[in-house]
Amino acid sequence: MDHPSVSSRARAARSGLTVPLPVTRVRRLTELVSAKTRGFAVFLVGSRGPYARAFENFILALVIFSIASIGVESIPGLPAWATQTLHVAEIVTVAIFTFEYLLRIVAAPNKFAFIFSYQGVVDLLAIAPFYLLGFDARWLRALRLLRLLRVLKLQTHFLETVVEERTRELAEKNAALEKAQAQLKAELEVARALQLAILPSAFPKRSGCEAAARMIPATTMGGDFYDYIELPDGEIGLVIADVSGHGVPAAFFMAVARTNLHELAAHHLDPGECLAQTNDALCAQNPLDLFVTVFYCVLDPKSGVLRYANGGHNPPYIRRAAGPVETLRGAGGLVLGAMSGGRYPTHTVQLLSGDRLVLFTDGVTEAFNSADELYGAQRLADEVHVHGGGTPAALVERICQSVTNFAGTAPQSDDITLTVLTWGTS
Amino acid sequence: MNLQIEATGDVTVVEPVGRLDFDAAPGFQEALERAMGGAGKPPGAVIVDGARLEYVSSAGLRAFLLTARAAQRSGIAFSLCALQPAVREVFELSGFSRIIPVHADRASALAQAQQGRT
Repeated sequence: MDHPSVSSRARAARSGLTVPLPVTRVRRLTELVSAKTRGFAVFLVGSRGPYARAFENFILALVIFSIASIGVESIPGLPAWATQTLHVAEIVTVAIFTFEYLLRIVAAPNKFAFIFSYQGVVDLLAIAPFYLLGFDARWLRALRLLRLLRVLKLQTHFLETVVEERTRELAEKNAALEKAQAQLKAELEVARALQLAILPSAFPKRSGCEAAARMIPATTMGGDFYDYIELPDGEIGLVIADVSGHGVPAAFFMAVARTNLHELAAHHLDPGECLAQTNDALCAQNPLDLFVTVFYCVLDPKSGVLRYANGGHNPPYIRRAAGPVETLRGAGGLVLGAMSGGRYPTHTVQLLSGDRLVLFTDGVTEAFNSADELYGAQRLADEVHVHGGGTPAALVERICQSVTNFAGTAPQSDDITLTVLTWGTS
Repeated sequence: MNLQIEATGDVTVVEPVGRLDFDAAPGFQEALERAMGGAGKPPGAVIVDGARLEYVSSAGLRAFLLTARAAQRSGIAFSLCALQPAVREVFELSGFSRIIPVHADRASALAQAQQGRT
C-alpha cells in the first residue's frame, strides 16, 4: 500500500481538491484507506452489502466452532495430533476474526465510534488474547480465559439481527400507513373536485341578466351549494342551500338534495310546490337525519317577476337600483329533510331595472373573528348597500374579502356561499 | 361548551352555556340523551333553557331535531325556553320553532310541563 498521507494529498492536489492537513492519526488512518478498499469492506460487512448476510453467517459459524474448540482443548490428555490441529485452527480463526475486525473499521463511516462501540470492543477482546499470548509469558496464560469472551460475539450477532429486523418491520409499517394516508387524501381530493364540478360554472345566457357565485368550503368537502336551473318558457331557477354540518356526510346529502331539486324544478314551476316535493323525496332517503336549508326562486327574465319559497334558509337581500337594501321576509317552511308533508308558501316580488338579488348562507353572517364576534347581517347589508352598484362578480369578491378580513386569523367554521344576480341592466 | 342538568321531580332542565357549533353538537346531543333517561326511566318532560346559549349552528339544530324525534317516540314533552334573540331568530328562520314549543322563560315552560302531565 502507498505511504499514507503524502500520496492521497498528492492525488487530491492533482485533482484540484483541497484536503485539510491531517491533524490526528485517525484522520491519517482514514486517508490510508482508499475508496476501493472501503468499497470492498462495505461489500462484505456493510448493512446493505450484497454479501453481508452470507459473511455474517460464516462468522457466526466460525464463532461457534471456535468456542467449541476452546472447550475441547481444555480436555486433559488430548493426543498430540489433536492439540496440533486445534492450534492451527485457532491461528486460522483468529486470522479471519482479525480480518473481519479490520474490515468493520474500514467500512464504518465513523471509525472512532465503531472502535469504542460495544461490538468494536467485543471484537477486539475476542482476538486480543491470541496476540498477547504470542509472548508466551506464563502469567499471561490466565489471559487464555479471555478467549471465552467470544461468547459475547454471539450475542452482538443476534442483537444486531433482531434490531435490523425490527427496524425493517417498522419501516414497512410506516410505509404502509403513509401509503394509506396518501390514498385517502387523494380520494378526498377527487371527491372535492367532483363536488365542485356539481356546482354550475356559468349562468344561463339571458339578455338583461347577469350572475356570479362562489362557494368556499370550511373543510375539504362542503355542505353548501348553489344552482342555476334553465326552466321551460325561458325562466331561470336559482337555488342556494346549506346542509347541516360539513365534511363527507354533508357533501353526500348536498349531492342528493341538489339532484332532487334540479330534477323536480322542471316539473313543478311553483317554487313552494317544488320545495315540498323535494322535502318529501329527501325525507325518504335520509339515513343520517341530516337536513338542508333551501331558498329557491324562479325569475322571469322578460318581466322581472321573482317567485320564491323558503325552506328554513336565511332570507336573501334585494338591493334596489337606488341603493336601499330589503330583506325577502316572506314566511317560509321547515328545513328540508327533517319532516315530510311540510308546506312551503310561494311569494312574489317585482324586480326593477338595476336591482340586485343577493343570496347567501349563514357561513357569511355567522363568521366569527378571533374576539368571538359575529360578522352579522348588518355588516353584510352595509356591504351590499355601499358596494352593490357594480357587477355581480365584483360584489361577490367584495363580500368574500370583507368576511375574510373580518375573520382575520380565526379558523373558518362553516362553508361560505354567495350568489348575486342583477336584472334589467344591459 | 358547558352544560348544567337539573332534575326536579318529573322534569329535567338542561342549560347549555356558550356556543353550540359543529364541534359541540355531539356532546350536547349526548347530554340530551342522558337527560331523557338514557337506558333508565324517562322523565315526563325535558326543557332546554337557552338563557346562556349564545349561538346555534346548523349542526346544533340537528341535535335539537334528533332529540325532538326521540322525545316524541318515548312520550316525553320536549320544549325550549328563554332563548336569546339571535338564537330565537335561528329557530324561527329554520322553522324549528314550529315543531318544538318555545316558551318565553323557564317559569312558563315549567308551568306548561306541569299542566301537560295533569
